[in-house]
Parts: sequence; structure tokens; C-alpha cells
Amino acid sequence: MSGITDMKISVRQICFIMLAYTAVSKFILYPTALSFNSGRDLLFSSLIDFLIQGVIIWAVSFLCSRTDKTFFKLIEGTLGKVVARIIYGLFALFFIVATVIPLFEQKVYVQAIFYDTIPSLLIFLPFFAFSVYAACKGFKNIGRCADVCLPLFLVSMLFIFAMSLGEVNWQHFFPVLKTPLNKVFGGSLITAFRFVEPCWLLMFMGHFEYKKHDALKITLSYAGGALFTLLVLATFYGIYGDIAASRQFAISKISLFFPAIELIGRIDLIALYILEAVMLFALVINIQFAVHCIIKCTGYGNRAVLSLAVNGVLLIMLIFLNNSLDALLGIWSQWMWIAFVIFANIIPLLAWTMRKRDKNEG
Amino acid sequence: MKDRIKNLNKYSHIIYLLVMLALLGLFFTNDFGIVDIHKTSLIVAVGIDPAGEEVQVTAQIAVPQPSQSGENVQYTEVQGSGLTVADALNEINAKTGTYPKLLFCKLILLGEGCQKNELFKTLGCFYRRNFSELTALVAMCKGKAQEMLEMPANIAPENSLALQKVLSEELKKSANVSSVDLKKLAETNYSVSEACYMPYIEANVQGTSQSGGNGDDVGGESPDSSGGQQGGGSGGGSGEGGGQQSGQGGQSGGSPQSGGQQGGQTVEFTARKTAVFSGGKFAGILDEQQAFALNVLKNSVNLAIVPADAEGVHYTVGLKSTSGGVKLKVKDGVPEATFSFKAKAQIQGARVVLDPETAMHDDVVSPEVLRATEAELQRRMEDLIKTCAETNCDVLGIKDLLHKYNYKYFEAFKDDILTRMKVNFKIQIGSVS
Amino acid sequence: MITLEKNVKSVKDVLTSEDIIVFEFDSLGGKKFAAIYADGVADKQLLGELVAKPLRAVEKDASLDEVKKLLASPEVKDGSKIPDAIKEVSDGNAVLFVDGEKNFFIIGLKKPPGRTVAEPPTQVTVKGPREGFTEDIKTNLGLVRKRLKSEKLQIKMLKTGKRSDTAVALVYIDGVCPEGLPERIEKQIADNEIDMVPDSSYVAHFISKKPRSLFKRNGTSEKPDIFCAKVSEGRVGLIVDGSPIALTVPYMLTEDFQTGEDYYAMSYRSTILRILRVMALFVGLFLPAIYVSSQLFKIQLIPFKLLLKISSSIAGLPLSPSVEMFLVLFVLEVLNEASIRMPKYVALALSVVGALVLGDTAVQAGIISTPAIIIIAFSAICLYLTPDLVETTTTLRWIYLIIAGSIGPFGIVLFSAFLVCYLVSEQSYGVPLLAPFAPLIKNDLYDSMVKANMYALKNRPEAFKVKDKVRLKSK
Repeated sequence: MSGITDMKISVRQICFIMLAYTAVSKFILYPTALSFNSGRDLLFSSLIDFLIQGVIIWAVSFLCSRTDKTFFKLIEGTLGKVVARIIYGLFALFFIVATVIPLFEQKVYVQAIFYDTIPSLLIFLPFFAFSVYAACKGFKNIGRCADVCLPLFLVSMLFIFAMSLGEVNWQHFFPVLKTPLNKVFGGSLITAFRFVEPCWLLMFMGHFEYKKHDALKITLSYAGGALFTLLVLATFYGIYGDIAASRQFAISKISLFFPAIELIGRIDLIALYILEAVMLFALVINIQFAVHCIIKCTGYGNRAVLSLAVNGVLLIMLIFLNNSLDALLGIWSQWMWIAFVIFANIIPLLAWTMRKRDKNEG
Repeated sequence: MKDRIKNLNKYSHIIYLLVMLALLGLFFTNDFGIVDIHKTSLIVAVGIDPAGEEVQVTAQIAVPQPSQSGENVQYTEVQGSGLTVADALNEINAKTGTYPKLLFCKLILLGEGCQKNELFKTLGCFYRRNFSELTALVAMCKGKAQEMLEMPANIAPENSLALQKVLSEELKKSANVSSVDLKKLAETNYSVSEACYMPYIEANVQGTSQSGGNGDDVGGESPDSSGGQQGGGSGGGSGEGGGQQSGQGGQSGGSPQSGGQQGGQTVEFTARKTAVFSGGKFAGILDEQQAFALNVLKNSVNLAIVPADAEGVHYTVGLKSTSGGVKLKVKDGVPEATFSFKAKAQIQGARVVLDPETAMHDDVVSPEVLRATEAELQRRMEDLIKTCAETNCDVLGIKDLLHKYNYKYFEAFKDDILTRMKVNFKIQIGSVS
Repeated sequence: MITLEKNVKSVKDVLTSEDIIVFEFDSLGGKKFAAIYADGVADKQLLGELVAKPLRAVEKDASLDEVKKLLASPEVKDGSKIPDAIKEVSDGNAVLFVDGEKNFFIIGLKKPPGRTVAEPPTQVTVKGPREGFTEDIKTNLGLVRKRLKSEKLQIKMLKTGKRSDTAVALVYIDGVCPEGLPERIEKQIADNEIDMVPDSSYVAHFISKKPRSLFKRNGTSEKPDIFCAKVSEGRVGLIVDGSPIALTVPYMLTEDFQTGEDYYAMSYRSTILRILRVMALFVGLFLPAIYVSSQLFKIQLIPFKLLLKISSSIAGLPLSPSVEMFLVLFVLEVLNEASIRMPKYVALALSVVGALVLGDTAVQAGIISTPAIIIIAFSAICLYLTPDLVETTTTLRWIYLIIAGSIGPFGIVLFSAFLVCYLVSEQSYGVPLLAPFAPLIKNDLYDSMVKANMYALKNRPEAFKVKDKVRLKSK
């Protein structure tokens, strides 16, 4: 019984996840990558991705109004248990792959904003202790963490925007849409691997009680997350202009020019540290889903062991590929986006074709 | 299943204990490559001078002295040289035994010799990823940066602070200085205009200002007016006291020995001129009046002081509520740049005997004075535009405007817009009341 | 024939202690009686007035029923088993044996020595009631009854402790308290067998499902007004004999940021004070850690001018920033502990030694720096703004300090994230510890970090899932 309630989440909490986690997972290198690829039209590149994902999120959340089954049950009812297990196995793999870049990004980000001189990798490794613990928890825990994270996110964003918006030079965005379209779309494509939110919703499917207009609420929350991301992109590019592509860790760079910093020091770091806590939860959510998918795939229910295993894989990758973020980014942006399009865009849409009611339900 | 969980719980205590022991080990040793406050040297200013193929970096370092009753900091200058700035900083590290952190570096001073080099070859080090923040002010100085950093200043205990004061935001808002930070510098240099500017600092032995007064000369009669043609230059103007102070190190923060007590040897800094760069190369120095015009057009100015000769009297006019800028339009295939400036004027001074009755009406400025002020501003702007065109240095960002707002004409005009454009002025000075 | 001597002997064979007194007397009619009581616990005077005096006056051979009618004590129970008699005598009551009768009377004369009702030292109020619980359960229950006169008020008496047989009163309001909660608590207490329960903190461990946790699972109060307010919100209260600290469950972390006075003062002021307490807690918890990690790992966290001052203060210190802070915190903890344990007149001298000799001289000698002392002192003050959480927060401060000195600021954030992840899953009898924040319960937010006015708090906390939701009806 407790197992069932542990997997329950409320629509409000899903909305919070869609708003806060969507945004924070795109604050580190995403703005730099987009500035490099799409230049002053980076907002359009981002908007394209968000619109596509927004439509898929609406589709999945609307699907939730048609069935109270979980995604696993949906596949099982249509294609059988074996296929459902295989698909969940693939999703587990996908979530691990989706964690790689954010994890490496997080590592370099932590090294940059928490330390004056680049510390050893050892400093970042305690993250896995947290990750192992968090991944042992169910959806209920994810939801409640989101309840805590949203106010933290809003407060820190308010703080950061208050310190940075005054520095924005909107002229940097002119001339509008003069960047070649292939660059704008290229920017969308090569950053597509950062959009996994429809998969999150797919995993939550059947674990929350759908009420009227919930699809709209979830989609609007996602739009809110997109708005925050676009605002950070706009602020970042508006402040740095053509040199934005050379500045990493956008969120930590935009509030630097606030006049009061001269007097009171880097108080923006406090907001960034609070935001970092939200980032950690946003990063861990993929690992939590990976564990969930393995449980469904294998039927093996010991979360602690599975959490250790998944984190172990990521830890080994981090140790062996410690300084290979650039290479990984190259691979992910050149090739892995295909996997992301399939798992985060195509499969969620295909869920609509699955049988939503049991035969005996009519 | 429950048994397994219980087993895990049993082991969790041992795990917690081991983790705490490991952390305590790290806590008490903290010797895994961290550079703590004891091992850090706080660089407050950096001076860069070319030395043949190499660059010589002078770092002004704050050295805190033991004190239980507040701040006691000595400032000292340490030199290092190398093929790059990073090389030189590494040498400073080797000399001081501490790790030089540029995070608190608020001033980067380029010696006059840097005019010969590509600007971003010299400054590139500061933009490399996260080496430092881009908030440090950048300025060029007359003579060697090293000497300038070693001169005792009259307005602050350590001269980097004095230098920062003459580059302050307040002075920028009075159009007296064209302060820029590393970010602004790169932003303008890498824009379509490929031009940037920075303040040009001069040191004068106290009471012997060489900089042409306070810019109150009407009609471009400043004795030091260089018209933007001062490429190169020697390091000889570093002030009489400068060279002698070299190597003495800074003075203790707040120490009465510094500054005033050294009498005639203290110097005062001015930064009313502006060094301009085009395509990353030095293009010249704008005199005070040209720099003033640049400042009112590019920066947000709260109160600017302009001289105006009218009715046979020399007036000093204060300009408030100002707004200025440049707009570019292409009309009938001809680019037209409109230089606009709006302000409210108030008489601040006049070379006549004060008459209390007329002084009461200083807020009501006569049309003659207003027109004279407008004429003076226009003259300064014309002078600036002319210099820009002559040196092909687009510090006013005309090409940028063409690119941003008249994109379809960009390819056609980008090469000669400065000489081809028709110039309009829209200067409106009204009386405060 | 059951003789009086036999009954008395049965009891005295078990209760061999010399403070168990047997008071034998005869009536005018020649009937023999024996009252057994524990000296010092039972009220001898009342025994004489209410029991011996009326019975002595009886001239005929009265039956047992007649004897019972003659007893002037308001609390008389029948007993028939010797073990019950032994238990009651141990508990402080008197047992009256009548010659020739197997049955006996238990007379409620318990009057253990104790202090009078006074203002509690841990919850001082400027505005509001000043009464505090004492160590006597009956007095405490009286203080509760005085405030809650409802017929729905239920007091369930339990016993715990094999040897101490400590009384525990389970106090709740029927129809308001969540269904089944008193029974669950009762079972939790009954499931634990221990020799002695000297204080309510033992019971707190019994009713906590995770006694090893750093975070408690029950609220505590020394003031009957707060206790009653909590009970009337739907909580179950526990009053333990011998302890002035009453317990309440379910518990939410936010309770410890509230004081009784918040409800008696203006809501604006209360809100400001609550926010202040939260901020103080975070400052107290994080300040030493941030100070250490900023010096070791991220100097930028300190404003430049302050950095110069700090640098001057620490220049020449023989200790690293982390060890210095560790030492100062260690000294604080020692002084704190000593000032509580030492006799008051020594404690005064100790504060002088601690503040002047240790602090000032250590700074003068260049062993520790002034900023470190300021930070630890301020941290200590901040944490005492939430005294009910001080055990947890002072422990956490140590953990944060060690993490800050070993992993740095990232460790602080990571451990905080871990705590959030841990706390959101924790609950006290079905009520999440972090409610009403996680899960978010909108209506309960009005009495959490903010204190809305009384009319905004019309309903009882939703987190408790009480049956009778309405607290205030106003026209």
C-alpha cells in the first residue's frame, strides 16, 4: 500500500516541475551554445524547441484525461507485457543518456561558481551520495521536493533578474531574424537533446489524478518554464551581445554588473547557490526516472540497489570522461539528438495510438 | 525485502561514520589543492606595458597586515613578464609565493606602449573563459602603466583607488570620462563597428595640470587639443614624481604617510581624454571636447558642464535632464545620421561680477546663452565626427546602427558610411524654468 | 476467616520498604481498620480527616457498604486483589482494609511533593498567560481542564515504565482529533517496555517512529495555553507524570517557529517575528559554514572591503580558517554546557572568564581572530530564537561546518538538498513534517511563516485531516 502512495504525485507538483526544472536545466551551457549557433536570433531557436515540446506536453497531458493508466499499462494493454518491459528498458537507458550532459555541465558549473580555483573532481563526487539517496525515493518525494523548489526558484530568479535586467541592451537583438535560417533551425536541432520534459510527463502518467483543465495547467506551467528560460537567454545575450558565445555558465554571469555588487560583494552568489539546489533536483529527476524504468522493466523492486547501480554507471563515466565535456557535447549535438527526438517527441505522441481503456471497460 | 532494508539501515550507521571521518580528515588537513585566503594575493589593479616581444605586468597587490582593530592593508607592486599576460602573472605567483587572483581586480591599466599592439592580443587573457570577471575598468595611460601605478596619489591612499576614482561612474555621468569595463570594451570591439574606446589617463604633479583646464575652452582652443592624431607618444609624461617612486611599493592603507605628506611629489590623475581603437588597433586620442561629445552621445549623463560665450560674457552652463544619441536612416539612398541631444540648462557660473538680482534668475537662461550652448555642443560633435571619419574609427557605432536598423543597406554602405553619411544635428537646450 | 493482619501482611511482604506505613485504628464499635500508604506521597492529614475520623466515630459493627458511605474522601474505589492494593500504595494512594473483609478500599490521597504552578523558564511570555506545567500530572491536567471545558475532551490514562509505573495522560478532543490517532499512540507507548520513564522525552522516543532521526516527531510545550490550543487544533497531547514538558502529535516543523505570543500580538508583528526567526535560523546555521568555505574556497563571497578587514584579522594566525572556526565553536559549546551545569554563582564567573579571558586574550595572542568570535557568537544567538529546535540546529551547525571546511560551498548546498529530500518524506503520524510547504497546503500557509489575522484562520489545519474542520464561525 505504501508503495502505491509513494508513487502518487499531484498535478500541482507536476506543474511546479514543469516550471522550475524545465528552466533550471537550461541555465548553464544552453545559452552559450545557442549564442554560438544562432547569435542574436537565439530566442527563435529556443522558441522553436519550446513550441514543439509544448505541443507534445499538451498532447501527453491531454492523453492523461482519456485514461488513468500508467504509460507502462498503456503499452502493456496494447503491445503486451514483454514489449512494455523492453520499452521501459530503453527508456531507462535513455534517461541515463539524458543525464550525462547535464551531469558533466553541473560538474563544471559547480567547479566554476563554487570555487575560485578549479578544484579536484573529488569535490563533486558527494553529489552521487545525494543522488543515490534521492533515486531511492518515489514520485511522492519528487513532487514534494518540487513543492520546496518552486519558491526557491522564484525567489532566486527574481533576485537575479532584479540585478541583471538593468544591464540589458536590447539593441543587441537587432537586426531581428537576419541570421540565416539554417543557423536558427540548426541551433534548435543541436540543442534538442536538452528537452526531455515530455518523457517526464509520460512517466508521471497514471500516477496523478487528472481533473478538468489539468492539461492546460501543465502546458501553461511548461510555458512558464519556457518563459523563464527565454528571459535568461534574452538577459544573457542582451548583456553580452556578440561576446555571449564566449561566456559560459550564463546564469552566473548576468548579475555581475549590478552596481551594488561593488559595495556589498557578490550577493548574487547566494541566489545562485539557492538555484543550484533546484538544479540538483532537476538533475536527479532523470536518474529517479531511470531507476523507476528499470524497476518496471526487470520487476526487481529494490530501489536502493538500482539507484546504486545507475549512479555507479554515471560515476564511472564521470571519472573516465572527466575532461571530455566538449567531446560529449559534440557527440550529443551531432548524433544523440535523434534519440532525444524519438524518445521525447515521437514516442509520447505514439502513446495516443495505444489502447486507453481495458476491454471490459468498454 | 524488509530484512534487506533493515540490513541497509544497520550498515547506514557505519557508512555515516565513515563519511564523517572522511570529512573530518579533509576538514583538518584541507590540503587537496585549495587556494585559501592565506595563499591568495589580492590583485587590485594590473598595469600592462610592452617590453620588446614580451609584456610586463605590474600587479598592485593588497597585502593585509596583522591587525585586531580593523583593516591594515599595505599595497605593493610586483612585476612579472612573459610572452602573455598569463605568463607574467605566473611569474608574479612565483615571486610572491601566493596565487594571484584577479577576481578583485578593478582596474586594468594599459601603458602608452600598448598602442602599438593589437588590443585584444594584450587583453585576451582576461576574456579566457572564467579567468576573471569582465567588470574591471580598462584605461590607457600616458607613459608606462607600471610608473603610473607606483605614483603616490593625492586623493587616495593607494593610487589604484585614486585611478578608479577618476574613472568613476559619477564622473561618467557628468560626461567627464568615458569609462568602460572589459565587457563593454569587447562588446563594442566585436560589434559590426569594430571600434572601441577607453579613458586616457594622465598624471600631473599636484597643482600643475597639463590637461587643458577643465574643458571650459570654447571653440576648440584647448592647449592640449590633439584632434585625435596622437598616435604613439612617449612615456615621458608620467609626472615628475612618478619615476622616483618606482619600486618603493605602496603605502599602508590609511597611513598618514601616503598622499599629502609627500608634498609636491604627489600627483593628481585626470582621464578626460579618450583613447580610441579601430579593429583592435589604436586609432588615436580624442581630446577633452571630443571625448565630452562622445560621452553625451554614448552614455547616460546626469549633469554636464559646458562653456558658452554669449553677449560678450563667458558662461558655464550646467546641463540637466539630458538625453542624447545617434539615429541613422537611409533616405533616397543616402544615409543620414541624426545626432540628437536634449537638455535643460542652468547657469552655473559667469565671468562677470555677481549681481544678486540676476543670480536669482539663473534658472532662466537667456536664448542667446542657450543658442551658444547648442552651438558649442554641435561644434564638439562635428569635431568628433570629423575625427572619426578621418581615422575610420567608428566609436559612435554608425555601422552598428546601419546593421541593426537599416540592414538592407548594410552591404552597400558598410565600408564608407562614415564619410558618406549626411550629418544632421538636433540639439535642443531649454531653460530649466 | 480473613483477618486484617493477613491482608496487611500480604501487602507488607511485598512492600517491605520502611516508608510504607500501616496505620491501624479501631472504631468506637470495635471494628478494626488498617490503612496502608506511602509516606511522603500520600496526604496523611486527609487520611486522618476523611478516613480515620468518620470511621472511628462508628459505634456499631458497620458492614462494608456502610463503611464506604462513611468515607468522606471524594475518590474511593473498591479493590479485591492484593496486587492492586500494592500498585495503588506504590502510586501514592492509601488502601483501607477492614477486619474480616477480603475486599478493600482504594482512597485517592495522592499528594506527591512538587512545586506550585509558575511561569515556565523555557517559554517566557510578555503578553499572555504565564502559567506553566509542573511535574505533577494532576496539576497539569487541572490546568488543561481549566482551559478546555468541553464535554468532548478526553483524557486517557496510561501507564508506562516497568518499575516507575509512570502515568501518561493522553489528551484529545473527540470529534476533532483524527480518528484512530489516540489508539495508535497508545499502542506505540504500550509496545515499549522500559524500567523507568523519568521524563516525557522518553515517551517522545516511544511515539517517534524514527527515534534515531535528527529531527523530532513531536511538539513540546511547557505552557498549558499552547498545549490546549494545539489539542483544540486536532492534535493529541501527552502529559507525563514527573515532567513539565507536555508533548503533542502530529508535529510539523513550522510549529517551532511559532510562539504563544504570536497569537496574542498583532498579526503583522507576529509575521515579522516569524520571518525573523526563520532568517535567524538560517543565518545561525549557515553563517559559520559560509564564512569558512568563503575563506577556503570562494573568496568572492566576501565583499572586498570586508575581505581586507578579515584578511588583516587573520593574517599571522597559526590556524587554518576551518580549524579556527572549529576551535571557536568548540569553546562556545563548552562554555554553553558549563554555564548550564555549573552552580549559578560559578556560572557568572564563568561568563567573565569565557568572554574576557578566553575570547579577548585569545584574540590578543593571535590564536583566533575577532571575526570568527563575532560569527560564532551571532550564530549562537540566532539559533536560540527557535529554542525548541536548538538540539537539532546546533548539531546541524557542526555538520555544516565540517562539510564547509572539507567540501566547500557546494557541500553546503548539497547537504541542504539532501535535508530537503529527507524531510519531505518524513512525517509525524501521517502529517508531513514540512507541511504546509511540502506538500503545499494553501490554507495552512496562513498560520505558518506568516500569521494571518484570526478571521483568516477559520478552519483547523488541513494537514491533520480532522473531522470537524471549522475553528471559527463569525457573523
